[in-house]
Amino acid sequence: MAELAPNKAPETAIRGARFLLWLEAWKSFKKNKLAVVGLIIVLIFVFLAVFAPVITPEGINEQKLAERLQPPSSEHWLGTDDFGRDILSRIIHGARISLWVGFVSVIGSIVVGCFLGILAGYYGRWVDTLISRFFDIMLAFPSMLLAIAIVAVLGPSLRNALIAIAIINVPNFGRLIRSKVLSIKQEEYITAAKAIGMRDRRILFHHILPNSMAPIIVQGTLAIATAIIEAAALGFLGLGAEPPTPEWGKMLADSKDYLVQAPWTMFFPGIAIMLTVLGFNLMGDGLRDALDPRMKN
Amino acid sequence: MNKKTILLSLVFVFILGFALVGCSTTTEEAPPPEEKAGETNEPEETKDTEEEQNKESDADPVDNTLVFGRGADSVGLDPATITDGESIKVTLNIYDTLVKYADLDTSIEPSLATSWESSDDGLTYTFKLREGVKFHDGTDFNAEAVVYNFERWANGDKSSFYYYSSMFGGFKGDEGHVIQEVKAIDELTVEFTLSRPQAPFLQNVAMPVFGIASPTALEKYGESFTENPVGTGPFVFQEWKRNDKIVLVKNDNYFMDGYPKLDSVIFVSIPDNATRLNELIAGEIDVADGVSPNDGSRIEGESDLQLFTRPSMNVGYLGLTNTRPPFDNKLVRQALNHAVDKEGIIAAFYAGQAEPAKNPLPPVIAGYNDDIEPYPYDLEKAKELLAEAGYPDGFEMELWAMPVPRPYMPDGQKVAEVLQNSFAQIGVEAKIVSFEWATYLEKARNGEADAFLLGWTGDNGDADNFIYVLLDKDNIGSNNYSYYSNDELHDILIAAQSNPDQEARVELYKQAQEIIHDDAPWIPLVHSTPILGGKNNVADFFAHPTGSQALTKVYFE
Repeated sequence: MAELAPNKAPETAIRGARFLLWLEAWKSFKKNKLAVVGLIIVLIFVFLAVFAPVITPEGINEQKLAERLQPPSSEHWLGTDDFGRDILSRIIHGARISLWVGFVSVIGSIVVGCFLGILAGYYGRWVDTLISRFFDIMLAFPSMLLAIAIVAVLGPSLRNALIAIAIINVPNFGRLIRSKVLSIKQEEYITAAKAIGMRDRRILFHHILPNSMAPIIVQGTLAIATAIIEAAALGFLGLGAEPPTPEWGKMLADSKDYLVQAPWTMFFPGIAIMLTVLGFNLMGDGLRDALDPRMKN
Repeated sequence: MNKKTILLSLVFVFILGFALVGCSTTTEEAPPPEEKAGETNEPEETKDTEEEQNKESDADPVDNTLVFGRGADSVGLDPATITDGESIKVTLNIYDTLVKYADLDTSIEPSLATSWESSDDGLTYTFKLREGVKFHDGTDFNAEAVVYNFERWANGDKSSFYYYSSMFGGFKGDEGHVIQEVKAIDELTVEFTLSRPQAPFLQNVAMPVFGIASPTALEKYGESFTENPVGTGPFVFQEWKRNDKIVLVKNDNYFMDGYPKLDSVIFVSIPDNATRLNELIAGEIDVADGVSPNDGSRIEGESDLQLFTRPSMNVGYLGLTNTRPPFDNKLVRQALNHAVDKEGIIAAFYAGQAEPAKNPLPPVIAGYNDDIEPYPYDLEKAKELLAEAGYPDGFEMELWAMPVPRPYMPDGQKVAEVLQNSFAQIGVEAKIVSFEWATYLEKARNGEADAFLLGWTGDNGDADNFIYVLLDKDNIGSNNYSYYSNDELHDILIAAQSNPDQEARVELYKQAQEIIHDDAPWIPLVHSTPILGGKNNVADFFAHPTGSQALTKVYFE
């Protein structure tokens, strides 16, 4: 009802109410221990990524062929790879790349997915049919295969891998927001907004979109985890980062020949991928519990 | 206004839709090459089960089948039309040549010809042929068959009989064509008349690509002969499943008494080095070709496996396309030669199983110039030369790395990364680029690369087969990928080719290497010693320096 009020004062009240809602969500998130663990893991990796150049003991490409494949020691905490490069330094720099790919690709898919999803959900009819079938077509391809195909067309590089990952996640967000829009547009306050002659654009971006944000945030967090794995997979297949970029998946691929001889070269990048993905998944689960009203008692 | 926005957004959706549908149609075309990479395990699994079935069915009598695991499938089985080592490995066992190489080096031994003599001027060669030899299809082997084969090649063109043209100077009617006439004197005598003396003539004739094929089969199969090979060799072709396996069975009428000892040979393709080694350890294959140097110690550690080393007769190099700036500048090429830590590369990615190269020619070949002083690894000197050449701040370049393991370079990507790192230290920024193998070769042959990793395994043990084939201006567009052209060198190489006096030839080749060293068309990197793994009970397996070996004498202990 407050949406109808024309003056400014109640709008700040709404903001306050929204803030309270988020506070509520945070409180329930805090209670979930696993989610907090996830958050901490994610924060640690974000910290590593941000301060990578400051905290790494060595650069990413300081080859010392004489010191290759050394096991973990006090000098090289996680050992050295087949070029004698410090694995710890490379993993920390790798965090930058993986998180960057994760965040940017997911934000990209959210923007495009939301736009298409809102159009489909709000206008319905043939717009809906067109966009939804288009999503169906994209979902008919195994997502990894589609990503590989896109990279093959664009040419292998980290940026193109990022674009491919963003594209393959578009239909997921699009469908999610479409279903959300379908239910929200039946709400009375939308009818009311239409009744006072509000423009479609304002209804869409000021009323419908903010109200469908919660599932997007949850899905987005979980999608970051998937995106990191997909980036690593593309890197592993040689379709992502170019040498000497310390991308985790590429580090795995580079050291797979040394699995028996120097297992740490594969072990640590693998652990790094696993930990970040686990962190984002736990955090995403926690967020879902906190933000989804149906889960609340 | 309202409708306008809807329309606009629809247009946007359409455009996006079409763009992406564009992507999705390409998915139908694009995946095959990727699938190969991604699915390497799958065909193997099916093959495994098949093999197991085969083994089960064959196991009960004496299992006398050798399973040979290698990195790639053959391209074709008509030896005259192929150039890849994986094809030769198979055809060598189906066909015989007039003369052949010894088990472990490239000295000449009788094969289909029992004896031969040449005239003093080196212009006629007369071969006495072996009596009573029959092709696998029952056709008699005789002088007419030899003439038929050589006529077939001489009347071909560059796109079909590639090796023939590079070894014998072209085809009938070409100015440089060496074999003027091949004549059947009687049933078992053939006479070759040459237009100019060719010192390595016997070495060339012994190359497995000049295997004598059955004339009746050639006429019967025509184009599809490459899939239905018929020769006189120790094994008879039975079956070929593309990208999976080739099955050969014993030729009971082989002319060498008591050979071959094996009942059958199965060549299986297992592209991944690590997988192939694991199959060997698991006992699925008997011999594994192309073992990664780093895995040598692993084979030695397994009590039921043995390590074979192939005598080194190859060179791995970084070719600098001499026509592309800045590599058209000799100083730049020399500078890059100073910026490579060959010892480091060998220690790291060849497990020490290689020698640093300073010449295009490997040291085992007569004519190797050991007096050449290699460009030392000296980054300061490299920077000076770059500055002198007018590039004090370096430049940007593409560095092509081969996508597949080769005997002369087990891991091109890693070598490229080391080079990239050293070049960066003299200000040269290299971007590592790779393509699918066939594309890689084609593009490099067309001179599209700035610098490319590549190598060569000698075919016949002659210096001509390295220097002339790889660096003479005649071979630009075929095997001279670096587009290096030097007239002085050309004259020396042609003189060396036509001079029957071995000592004079050695001197000429030494001279040639001095010119090449100074012009620095490549960065010669290594002469590697390729290793193979085999089960302990495999006996008399001779890893031949040319990279392919006849399995005639192999038996299980």
